Amino acid sequence: MHRTPPEMLQGTVDILILRAVAWQPMHGYAISRWLDDRSDGVLSVEGAALYQGLHRLERQKLIAAEWGLSENNRKAKYYSLTAAGRARLRTESSTWKTYAAAVHKVLSPA
Amino acid sequence: MTTGKRIFTLPWRSRTTIAHDVDAELSFHFDMRIAELRARGLSEGDARQQAAAEFGDLEFTRSYCRREDEHAVHDQRWTDRLTEWRQDLVYAVRTLRRSPGFALASLITLAIAIGANTAVFAVSRAVLLQPLPYADADRLYQINTIWPNQPNSRNQLSPADFADFQRTQTSFTDLGAVVPETAMIWRPASGDPKSLDALDVSSNTFAVLGTRALYGRTLLPGDEIPGHDHRVVLSFDTWQRDFGGDVAVTGRSIILSGASYDVVGVMPRGFTIDEREEIWLPYDQTGTLADVVRARKQHYVRTIGRLKTGITPAHGLADLRTIAARLAAAYPEADSGRTAEMRSLHDVLTGDLRPALLLLQGAAALVLLIACANLANLALSRTMGRRRELATRAALGASRGRLVRQLVTESVVVSIAGGILGVGLAVVGTRSLLALNPTTLPSLFDANVNGGVLAFSLAVSLITGVLFGLLPALDASGGNLHDSLKEGGRGSSGGRASGRARTVLVVAQVALALMLLAGAGLLVRSFAQLTRVTLGYDPNGIVTADLRAAGDRYNDSLQVTAFYDGVIQQLSRMPGVTAVAAVSDVPTRGSSGTALRIDGQENDEARLQDLRYISVHGDFFKTMRIPIVAGRAYDTSDRPDIPETAILNETAAKRYFPKGDVLGHRIRIGPDPNAPWMTVIGIAGDIHTDGLDVPVEPTIYANHRHEAWMRSMSLVMRTSLSAANAGPLIRAAVRAEDPTLAVNNVETLNDVLGQSLASRRFALGLAMSFALIALVLAALGIYGVLAYNVAARTREFGVRIALGASSRGVVSLVVQQGVSASLAGIVIGLAGAALGARLLNGMLFGVTPLDASTYVIVVTVLLVVAVVACAVPAWRATRVDPLTSMRAE
Repeated sequence: MHRTPPEMLQGTVDILILRAVAWQPMHGYAISRWLDDRSDGVLSVEGAALYQGLHRLERQKLIAAEWGLSENNRKAKYYSLTAAGRARLRTESSTWKTYAAAVHKVLSPA
Repeated sequence: MTTGKRIFTLPWRSRTTIAHDVDAELSFHFDMRIAELRARGLSEGDARQQAAAEFGDLEFTRSYCRREDEHAVHDQRWTDRLTEWRQDLVYAVRTLRRSPGFALASLITLAIAIGANTAVFAVSRAVLLQPLPYADADRLYQINTIWPNQPNSRNQLSPADFADFQRTQTSFTDLGAVVPETAMIWRPASGDPKSLDALDVSSNTFAVLGTRALYGRTLLPGDEIPGHDHRVVLSFDTWQRDFGGDVAVTGRSIILSGASYDVVGVMPRGFTIDEREEIWLPYDQTGTLADVVRARKQHYVRTIGRLKTGITPAHGLADLRTIAARLAAAYPEADSGRTAEMRSLHDVLTGDLRPALLLLQGAAALVLLIACANLANLALSRTMGRRRELATRAALGASRGRLVRQLVTESVVVSIAGGILGVGLAVVGTRSLLALNPTTLPSLFDANVNGGVLAFSLAVSLITGVLFGLLPALDASGGNLHDSLKEGGRGSSGGRASGRARTVLVVAQVALALMLLAGAGLLVRSFAQLTRVTLGYDPNGIVTADLRAAGDRYNDSLQVTAFYDGVIQQLSRMPGVTAVAAVSDVPTRGSSGTALRIDGQENDEARLQDLRYISVHGDFFKTMRIPIVAGRAYDTSDRPDIPETAILNETAAKRYFPKGDVLGHRIRIGPDPNAPWMTVIGIAGDIHTDGLDVPVEPTIYANHRHEAWMRSMSLVMRTSLSAANAGPLIRAAVRAEDPTLAVNNVETLNDVLGQSLASRRFALGLAMSFALIALVLAALGIYGVLAYNVAARTREFGVRIALGASSRGVVSLVVQQGVSASLAGIVIGLAGAALGARLLNGMLFGVTPLDASTYVIVVTVLLVVAVVACAVPAWRATRVDPLTSMRAE
């Protein structure tokens, strides 16, 4: 299994979480599965980093939490994007895209 | 992908709940992961191990998440609270805007009440609370001599007595001597010479007051030694105005009255000892003390002492009295019968303002209380009408606390807004008060609306808001709100309890208003009595000016006589001047006391008869138009070289010579039993020398030619000129006699009389305004309650009228209610006024605190106002249409 690369920055975890809950509320485990699936296992975030990120973002009111029932009828904490979170996701995504494109350009053969 | 069903939102969670939640969330994660790994075929143990390995630092994550959640809850709590407050505020503003009448009435009432309190507080803070601008000012005392039991005989020390007090006292760090100012003629390097008011102070005075120089140094011991005493300290204003604020002025020499003086220092802004002086010079008594007799008998040294730390004022006074007793024994001709007195410098300077200000502050507080009662009443009626709204909110889940807070927020919003308006009023009010009464407040006191005053009015506003909001809020939110919802209508007259509360408020208002009216009434009657006092002279057309023959030259009393003769003669030749004279004390400014021995009578040496002493120069009686009742006035035949003659006032003649044998009788004055005899040659009319409110005492009008040791005199000049036009004439005449002398306080006698009544007029004006406000508020209060009751009882009146009640019956029903509440208030108010009026005792003149006619008038006024306030609602009650009223509700 992939572990979160050590150089993976806190900001990166945050934006990934925001993106994960952008469409519908999700609990922590679902988020980690979703990230795994979407990145074909490349961006597998360590549980510790994920939950720290979730609670940090909740305190910043970028995401909101509610207890709900999971698919297997267990009590689970669901996270959803707040308006502030959506705005943050928008700005962060475009910053990231610009950044990634620049890195890509530098690394491409001339 | 998962979809969750919402179960509940997270409220404010406790620490335990947070810990529990974090654990539940994390174990859910592990359970899911383990289940998945096991589905892939791992054993229970392996799955568990792998899940733990994948997760990373579990313990740190657990505590990190808890901490974040706790912070989040804390933040949330504050945001929620702020949101609620904002909601309350927005809601309050919205409701108030929906009832602009209520809001406006409350605002105006509050602005006036809080404005009055703020304005009075601005003045009393400056006068009563603010320390004087000296270091540790509460240990500073002014020391006087006084004849026991005669407050008016207070006198300053003589130079010789001062020296003895200073040398032998042990309770004060030191005593400083301050001697009335003289004019020094300053000759600048360029430009015309100008006169500077100088104050002679003993070289330790600055140390006693504890004030340091801004630049250079103050006067120090040693500066008074002849030969080294040409040193001068400049006041800040003089330094700015005449020396351009040049720091290098210290160490320079300037020419004062022809001699060179070294400028040793500049005092800080606002520092003053006598309020008028521009420069300070070292005061040396050695020359004065050489003349043993005069040095004991002239009392002109103002003495300020700083009590040592650890010494009580009582101990200090005992010390001074011991010295005074020793002096009286050693120098009976000058000091017999005198003892010492000390008053805190603060009291000396605030003088008679303290009781007046305390009373005004009390009156302002009463006005505020009435305003509170009024607003509480308004709010009470208003919340009754809002019971349905409140019930709805309660039904929707608002707690009682929340409802109370909502209502109190409304009243606080009103009171703060009213407070802001009130402060505006106070700023204008304080300015105009002081502008109207410039002489009331010594310039040492800086009465302004500043931070402290603003804090005061903010606090007052808040308290007011809570005070008048809380009672109605508790009343409205209590009881069974659901009933009012069920009743459907706008609610019945609103419980019996709140009806009683409203009546109590009206009673309180009337009682408070009566107290204020009674106080103001007594002051008005006192003032009226004062203006009716027979002056005994004609003040119209008299201009006065203060002179002092200062300088070594006048140690020869013939020079003093020559100086005043010269000035009087010059002025009497001027066009527009009818008559000129000089007098030791201008009427209402006080007099000194002396003792009387009568030839051929038993004179009890231990208890000599009192006599007020006034010295006159020139034809004082003709100038002032004081009638000579018998005998004659002084004329040129009363020369210093023949035995002295005397003129007494009528009171003295009647009291001490009941047989009418006063003319030609011989008397002795002063403490010296061997003083030369004086022959009484005339009786002059009585005048109030010590103030209009002080009864006329037996007085001698002594002849200044014989008593020319007295150097400070005031000119009285009967003239068609104004004070402004007479001033230059007087200055020119004085300059022609002696260019080193100053002329002070040129003003009309009517102004002097006005000043003597200034603090009284000041207090009276404010007390009257307060009483008027109180009356209006009380009337509004009565009206408000009755109007509300009539509205609430519309149906009942309709029934009564339908059943044949006459409109007179209905009117009397309403009026009876209002009048009985007013009567209760009047009875309580009378009791309060009778108790409170004692506080006025010192300010009353010609009326007793229980003056019956004042109370009768005040009660009548209040009753009339109460009946008028009842009349409108009563009239409205008779207009109730039985049919409409019964159909309503």
